[in-house]
Amino acid sequence: MKGTELVLKALLDNNVRYVFGYTGGAIMPVLDEMEKQKTFSFVMSRHEQGAAFMAQGLSRASISTPSPRVGVCMATSGPGAMNLATGIADALMDSVPVLAITGQVATSVIATDAFQESDVVGVMMPLSKQCYMPLSAEEIEETIHEAIYVAKTGRGGPVVVDIPKDIQNQSSSENYQFDAKSYEPDLPGFVYPSEPDHNLLKKAVARINKSEQPVIICGHGVISSHGGLELKAFAEKANIPVCFTLHGLSAMPVDHPLSLGMVGMHGSVEANRALLNCDLMISFGMRFDDRVTGNLEKFGINADVIHVEIDPSEIDKNVKSSIAINADAKRVLKILVKDPECITKPRRFWFEQIESYRAEIASETRKEIKRGVGQEGQLLMKTIVTKLSDVTGGKDIVVSDVGQHQMILARFYNFQTMNSWFNSGGAGTMGCALPMSVGVKLARPEERVWVICGDGGFQMNIQELGAIMEHEIDVKILLFNNGYLGMVRQWQTMFYNGRFAGTPLKNPDFGAIAGAYGIPHQRVSAPDQIVDALETAAAHKGAYMVEFLCDPSEIVLPMVPAGGGIADMIVSFDNNI
Amino acid sequence: MTKATSIKRRAITVFVKNRPGVLNKISMLIRHKMYNVETLTVCAARQTGYSRITLTLYEDKDDKILQVIRQIEKMTEVISARELGINESFWREVVLIKFEADQSQLETLIEKYKFEVLDRQNHEVYIVQMAGVSKKIDDLIQDLGNDKIIEVARSGFTALEK
Repeated sequence: MKGTELVLKALLDNNVRYVFGYTGGAIMPVLDEMEKQKTFSFVMSRHEQGAAFMAQGLSRASISTPSPRVGVCMATSGPGAMNLATGIADALMDSVPVLAITGQVATSVIATDAFQESDVVGVMMPLSKQCYMPLSAEEIEETIHEAIYVAKTGRGGPVVVDIPKDIQNQSSSENYQFDAKSYEPDLPGFVYPSEPDHNLLKKAVARINKSEQPVIICGHGVISSHGGLELKAFAEKANIPVCFTLHGLSAMPVDHPLSLGMVGMHGSVEANRALLNCDLMISFGMRFDDRVTGNLEKFGINADVIHVEIDPSEIDKNVKSSIAINADAKRVLKILVKDPECITKPRRFWFEQIESYRAEIASETRKEIKRGVGQEGQLLMKTIVTKLSDVTGGKDIVVSDVGQHQMILARFYNFQTMNSWFNSGGAGTMGCALPMSVGVKLARPEERVWVICGDGGFQMNIQELGAIMEHEIDVKILLFNNGYLGMVRQWQTMFYNGRFAGTPLKNPDFGAIAGAYGIPHQRVSAPDQIVDALETAAAHKGAYMVEFLCDPSEIVLPMVPAGGGIADMIVSFDNNI
Repeated sequence: MTKATSIKRRAITVFVKNRPGVLNKISMLIRHKMYNVETLTVCAARQTGYSRITLTLYEDKDDKILQVIRQIEKMTEVISARELGINESFWREVVLIKFEADQSQLETLIEKYKFEVLDRQNHEVYIVQMAGVSKKIDDLIQDLGNDKIIEVARSGFTALEK
């Protein structure tokens, strides 16, 4: 068999159906073989970065389906592979399994500065979980099987396989055999704990039972391990409030009485105050990112920390734990739910305190949402998001770009469906949403998918409207257009004396652009038009775009200022300076 | 590109699958964590297909070094990584030195350092080999003096747990 056939055979054996990518000289043979076989759906992005995010979308969204998949993207050598890099780095930061297959120049010219040559393995090494370069056709199959195994095992991450063009065209010998069914990776050092340590669990339960003011922090690991139901059951059983990291959101319904919403730099008042005043943090599948903790020296000073985390290198990295359990979040939650030693405690004082945190800015926020417009008389994003929750019942999938709208969605969207919230967290890559939504929709075709972008991020991968058009991807695009890079503008307003350096945007006619791609568009400028527009978009068959003219003065609050501790959280800000 | 000076020298021994790029990955991680690799030795391990890497760097804090080790261990090709404490293990170096000396000086030095003479190109230039703790090698180099030394090649540390 030829190298290209072996690539496709390995992908098929791993249940890959969709391949996202962009062709070019060094990957042509694989795409050519794909065209011959017609066994894959090839989705052509308009830029390789788009393909990487599409693959991410498929991986992220399919985790909670009966058949989780690893998203696959392909690109040619040199610039093609380099354009994938941002999407790969993003997948590493957010622990998303992705397989990137790149074509490389022929082995005879590698390292001679050949046309479209880059040292892909060299570049991708620090951006990925693992990189491979098979140097014979016979290595290809095993390499791809190992790559997919590594990508999805333990803490997920991207893996790159760089295949020189002559190896793609090489034929395996007649005696070559590979049995995919009995394949087991030969990686003696790559082991993950199968069972959490029993003694540590016992200690953890005793500590939880003793705690008067505990709080659970639900991280991405709960979603990745598909442990949302177990999390909810554990929180209810032990009667402990739950806050979420950005990627922990949608693990359980966010309007649950025990839910405090998102924690961190733009977390809710109740989540942040709870973290500040708790005596015990029980964190599942999270890594105490700086956007969660703020200044580490001021973080969790009065609390013990139980840290359940699959990646041992995250334990004690940022926050010292009292009890560290190196295990899969769901597995631990399952045991805790069933553990008869784990008791239900009323914790009345703690819940009274939490109610007072909830009330802190609730009425001002409600008023603002009701008013619907900001100082400049244009729409408030929080009003739009609240109405989106009303229209969808919080059940639809939301894919967000990066910025103010992302934080506002995290704060105000009423997440009801497990694993229904996709965006770039660790890397914070603007432009991720439009391509990511393509993968998300293909992974969950029965569900409605909303893509929310700012006018800045939208234009970073706007070309993927082409992929949406060509493949008839039914996503509802909500463009929050305030004419600025809103989050940076917010920092400029708050910390740079209102000097708007590099944030104002002179924007094109987005309606005309949508129209050029055959996507219906409407523009909304008044609060009373929001629901109608959202309902029209929801009812429309196929992609639809609603552009909201948003108020540039809107500030996302609360905010823990950079370098500050959670106690320094800003809950109100006079924007009239 | 490296952090403010620490004074405690640490040795980390890593067993890896012998695949291209493993050393690159480890050194890249150490650079990313803003350390400078002070010494580095790599050799085949007893089991075929595996290598043993011993590297040293400066770090005063135990938890920081643990982080480095855990992040190295995370790499798929790494079988194990651990610190070899200076009191719980032997750290040794090999040195080759080419220097000028007359016969009597050479004999005095051999008496003191017990090194092996590998080559005497003529009656005044010698190449010798010695293994031992760094201090002993430093002393020999100092005893010879810069004027006499033509070239020095030190291996960097290799280490073994007691």
